[in-house]
This record gives sequence, C-alpha cells and structure tokens, in this order.
Amino acid sequence: MLKINELKASVEEASILKGLSLTINPGEVHAIMGPNGSGKSTLASVLAGREEYEIEGGSVDFDGADLLEMDATERARAGLFLAFQYPVEIPGVSNINFMRAAVNGKREHEGREPIKGKAFLDMVKEKAQLVELDGRLRNRSVNEGFSGGEKKRNEIFQMAMLEPKFAILDETDSGLDIDALRIVSEGVNAMRSPERSFLVITHYQRLLDYIVPDFVHVLVDGRIVRSGGKDLAFELEEKGYDWIKEDIVA
Amino acid sequence: MDTAKPQLMDRPKAEAKHAASEASGAALVSALDAVLGVQADVALDAVPVPHRRVERWKYTPVATWWKDVLAPEVNTVADAGCEANPVPGLDAYRLVFVNGTFDAAASDLPVHTGVTCMPLSQRGDAKRQDVDAFSPEGSDWFAGLNGRYSQEGLYLRVAQGVELDHPILIHHHTCGAGAFNVLRHDIAVALNASVKIVQWSTAATGADGSVNVLTRADVGQGARLHIDKVQDEEGTVRHIAYEDIRQGRASHAEVHTITVRGAWVRNDLAFRINGQGAHAELNGAFLPGEGEFVDNHTTVDHRVAHCTSSENYKGILYGKSTGVFNGKVFVRPDAQQTNAYQQNANILASDKASMNAKPELEIYADDVKCSHGCTVGQFDSDALFYARSRGVGLEAAKAMLVHAFIGDVLKGLAVSEVRLEVEHRLAEKHGWDVWSHHPNDDA
Ligand SMILES: Nc1ncnc2c1ncn2[C@@H]1O[C@H](COP(=O)(O)OP(=O)(O)OP(=O)(O)O)[C@@H](O)[C@H]1O
Ligand SMILES: [Mg+2]
Repeated sequence: MLKINELKASVEEASILKGLSLTINPGEVHAIMGPNGSGKSTLASVLAGREEYEIEGGSVDFDGADLLEMDATERARAGLFLAFQYPVEIPGVSNINFMRAAVNGKREHEGREPIKGKAFLDMVKEKAQLVELDGRLRNRSVNEGFSGGEKKRNEIFQMAMLEPKFAILDETDSGLDIDALRIVSEGVNAMRSPERSFLVITHYQRLLDYIVPDFVHVLVDGRIVRSGGKDLAFELEEKGYDWIKEDIVA
Repeated sequence: MDTAKPQLMDRPKAEAKHAASEASGAALVSALDAVLGVQADVALDAVPVPHRRVERWKYTPVATWWKDVLAPEVNTVADAGCEANPVPGLDAYRLVFVNGTFDAAASDLPVHTGVTCMPLSQRGDAKRQDVDAFSPEGSDWFAGLNGRYSQEGLYLRVAQGVELDHPILIHHHTCGAGAFNVLRHDIAVALNASVKIVQWSTAATGADGSVNVLTRADVGQGARLHIDKVQDEEGTVRHIAYEDIRQGRASHAEVHTITVRGAWVRNDLAFRINGQGAHAELNGAFLPGEGEFVDNHTTVDHRVAHCTSSENYKGILYGKSTGVFNGKVFVRPDAQQTNAYQQNANILASDKASMNAKPELEIYADDVKCSHGCTVGQFDSDALFYARSRGVGLEAAKAMLVHAFIGDVLKGLAVSEVRLEVEHRLAEKHGWDVWSHHPNDDA
C-alpha cells in the first residue's frame, strides 16, 4: 500500500524529516507516537502533498505509483486521505458544497458523472450518522465556528464520504470528549477492511484501546527510532520518551 | 540653473506631459463638438484634463481615450445583432441604447400610474435635475464631457408612494470602432416611492468605443432606489460611469457595481446624504483579467445626523491586470451619530496583477461610529491545500474561494436574475465549471 523509504524533508531551510522509512500493507493500522515537534504532522503534510515542504531525498510508493510525483489533488483522488490535526475553516463555503466538490472530483477522476442530488444527500445522511455529526453542521461554512470536537468529527465524516484506500489521522483524538472519542473510533473501526490502511498519529495510548493498531512506531527528531506492537504504546505511556532518546544517544 | 538636481530635470518633463494631455483633451473636445454637437454650454477649461499629477487620476492612465471619434454606423439592436435583453428570464421594463442611440423597437417602456419613463430626448419641456456646486460636471473633466454632450438616456419620475412592479433595465451596447456614447440617466423618486434599476453594459467582440454615463438620482423622503450595475464589455471599450445620488430624509439608496469584463473601466460614485435617518449602500465586485483595468472611486458625504452608510468592495485580480479603489467618507460637523462602514478586500490571483487601494476618511463630528478596512492579499493557501487534500482541483478550489469571497456582494444584488447571470458570465470568463452546481447561498 505505502512504502516510505529514507524520506527527507525540510521547511524554510529547517530539515524536519531526516531519513524516515515505513511500510504499511493493505488492511494494516499503524500508530505513530512521538514528542511534540518531532515531525509527525510534517510527515502527514508531506504525504498529503503540501507544497511548502521541500523533499530532499527518499521515495514514497503508493500502490505502485510514485506518490511524490503527484500533486495534492491527485493524491486525494488516488485514495489518500488526511484528517488534519488543525482542520481549516473556509468561511462562505458550505460544508455540503465542499463535500460535493470533493466527491465529484473523485468521480471525475474515475470517469464517472457528477453525483445526483438525491444520491448525494442520502450518502451524506448515512455517513453523518456514522460519526453522529450534527445535521446543522452540514449547512454551515466549512469548520467555521465549529468546536474542537465538531471539527474532528467533521474530518472523519469527510473520510467516510470519500472512502479512501489509505487514511492518516493526525491527532484526531485531541479535542474529543470521552463519548465522542468512542463514537469517532467506532466510525473508524467500521471502515477498517482488508483493503484499507490507516496511519494514526496520537499522543495517548487511550485511543489505541479503541482503534487497535497492528504496529506502533516512535518518531523522534525526524526518524522512526523504535517500532513494536501495541504494547509499545503502554510502555511509552508509563515511561515517557526519555528512555528512548537516551537509548538513541547511547 | 543647476541642472544636476533631479527635481529640476523632472519638472519640465511633467509639464510637457501635462501640456500633452491638455492638447489631447482639446483635440477630443473639438472632435466631439463636430460629431456629437454641443448640447449644453459646459466649460471644460476650469478643470484639468486628467493626468498622473491630478490626485484623483494618479493611478488611472487615460491615454486610451485619445482616439478618433466617428459617428457610429449601427444604432439598433437589429443591426448590431445583439440581445435586446442581456439577462435571461428577467421580467423588466427596458430601454436599449445602441452606440448611445435609443432603440425604440427593442425597448419596452412601462405604462404605469405615477411613473414617467421615457428616453431623455423625448421629455419635451420637462427639466432635468439641476447641476450644482457638488455635481461632478464642475469638478471632473470627463463628467464635464457628459454635461456638454449628453442628450440621451433614461428620464424617470416615480410619483409619491408608487412602487414600480418590475425593475427597469437600461441596456447600453457598444459596437464597431470610434463610437463615443454619452448617456445621462435622470431619475427622481418621490416621497415613499420605490424603484429598482438594472444598468447593464455590453460591447461586441472587437468593439473599440468609449462610454461615458452619468446617472443622477434624487431619492426623496422615505423613498427607495436600488441600482444593480453590471459591466460586461468585450473589445477595447473604455467606460467611465458617474453616479450622483442625492438622498432625502429616511431614504434608502443602493448601488451594486459588478465589473465582469472591461478593458478600461472607471466608476465614480458620489452619495450626498442630505436628510436624517437615510441609509446608503455601495457594494462592488471586480474581477479583471489579463490586461484589464478597473477603477472604483466612491464618495459618501454625510451632511446630516443619524444616517448610516455601508460600503463593501471586493476585487480579485488575474493576469496582468490593475485595480484601483479609492473610498472617501466625509462626516461633516453636523452629522452626529453617523454610522459609516467601509471595507475593501482584494486578492491578487497573479503575481503580475496590481492593486492600488486607499480609504480616505475625513471626520469632523465627534459622536460617530466609522470603521474601515482595506486588505490586499493572496488566496488562503491553507484553505486551498485543505480543499485539494479532499480531491478538489486547484482551479476549482480557487473558484470556490472566489465564490465565497464575493458571495456577500453578489447576494446584495437587488434582482436575483441579475445575480444568476453575473455568476454565469463570470464562470464563463474564468472557465469555472464548479459554479454551476455550487449554489452556496442555498444553504
Ligand atoms: N511551516 C513551517 N514553518 C516552520 N517550521 C515548521 C513548519 N511546519 C513545521 N515546522 C517545524 O517542524 C517541526 C515539526 O513540526 P510538526 O508539526 O511536524 O510536529 P509534530 O510532531 O506534529 O508535533 P505535535 O505533537 O506538537 O503536533 C517543529 O519544530 C515545527 O516548528
Ligand atoms: Mg502534529
């Protein structure tokens, strides 16, 4: 599904990713944990195609295609999705029209006709139910004035609408209350399938009780310094990151 | 003389330029005297011919106006082969002017109690509104041209309490080369009366003419006037438009100016608020493309207390285009409790586009609320990336942001058919297909 090899990236002259390798097979859920500023969101942005980041080396293969050759739109249409750590507000563009443009973009890529009004609304209804997204939010401007938790639900709603092959969830759990965390996680779990993979970025082991990962990686200073099973998350929760950092230095 | 000093080198050069523009202006006047004939004895030598040293013309090059003037060969919709009604589905009364001449066959005048509506040339003994010390004819050279040559346009009187059932559409069409269209619209809306006007200007592909329109409106006590003004002219047409609006007590006047297309466009609006409790509204959107020039000058003159004004202009500039915004707000000493709002926001959609924006507030009363904001920026890159990360194409994402950006201005248009047609024409000009299934305001 996704094969990242020795990826190096910088922003405004500062190098952030310093040779990161990671392979994710179809159906797998990988979790990435790591200290603030270690480069987790940078990795997510680079994979999604944000142009402000300079790729300085390495390669990313996505389902047999060179991901780094595609622009952000093409990556999304090819089935990559990023649930943002900080979803963007777009005043004046309604959530529903935004999603219609997104769904039709994907359909255009697949050589299909734009979706019919009724079919689209039925789909919206079904997917909104999945994450219990308040119906009123659909007609409001994209994320504008949404609470932190509402924004995160909206991200997962969008993911459900677009049915990606590979989804990156960047701290989707932060800002969610206890019930919302469960609901959103169940929404994600409902989408797990042998063809779909996830990369879940989080600071807290608790999320991984709900979305149980196959692998856990620790990102420190732009590199993956340790990988393991879901138990690694417990170990981190208990001991923090210092012991790993010390391990690296040693 | 110390010729090494740069100022001394510059001055003769500037004076030479000034002399050149005076000569060009004089040549145009003698050509117009011959082709159009002098209609009113308006002296043009009291004000300078515009050039860069005249403050109000600092960013507005006028060189393209110095062209030969010819009597137009085409004066009817039938000969021009244009639409009589450029707004599909619009149920409106209509006055069509082709190259400045009224086309009766293509027009449809209202027959309505309390409404006098006719081409200006047919008004007989009825008087036009007076020009006074504040009228643009006395202070602006191009407005002076309008005073000197205008003989055609709309003559409209709406009697006390009358509300016209449909809008009045004024359609200006320009075609061919050398036409110099001078139009004067003279409107008076009496006590508590109400009318909506749509002013729509078109020009044929390849047209090379000049348009000079002055709309003078007297909005009486408690009266309402809405003007939706759309400029969608092809070719290399130059278009200058004045609105001289005088408002009475508790009146309401709105002018919405949308510039879809135009090689050279200047709008110069002046609202004089003379009666308490009145409200003035001026909104505009301009989206010039490669090589186009759009200038919006506005003046809101608060002369009395307890009035409000609201102004919102949005520009998106593509290619190598240029925009100008100048918004003057005067709050005179007697105009206590004025509430004046002005906003001008611009997006440079290309790094070759440029925008000169300047708010000018002069406030002489102390108990007032005045706010203004002026921005020139780029598309929000976070929003673009967010949309693209959902599979929306870059151009479609920009079109979506454009629609959101000018949405409030388009929503302000008084006539919904006008809004739809403006959206359609903008989408056509810029190649946006998302707009067709993107009615944000359905939300
Ligand atoms: N656009 C940018 N300009 C300058 N520096 C940036 C930019 N984006 C990221 N950085 C820097 O790159 C480093 C990594 O940031 P990143 O957001 O990837 O961290 P993170 O691991 O996601 O942290 P957190 O856990 O706090 O979300 C930080 O030092 C950050 O300040
Ligand atoms: Mg982060």
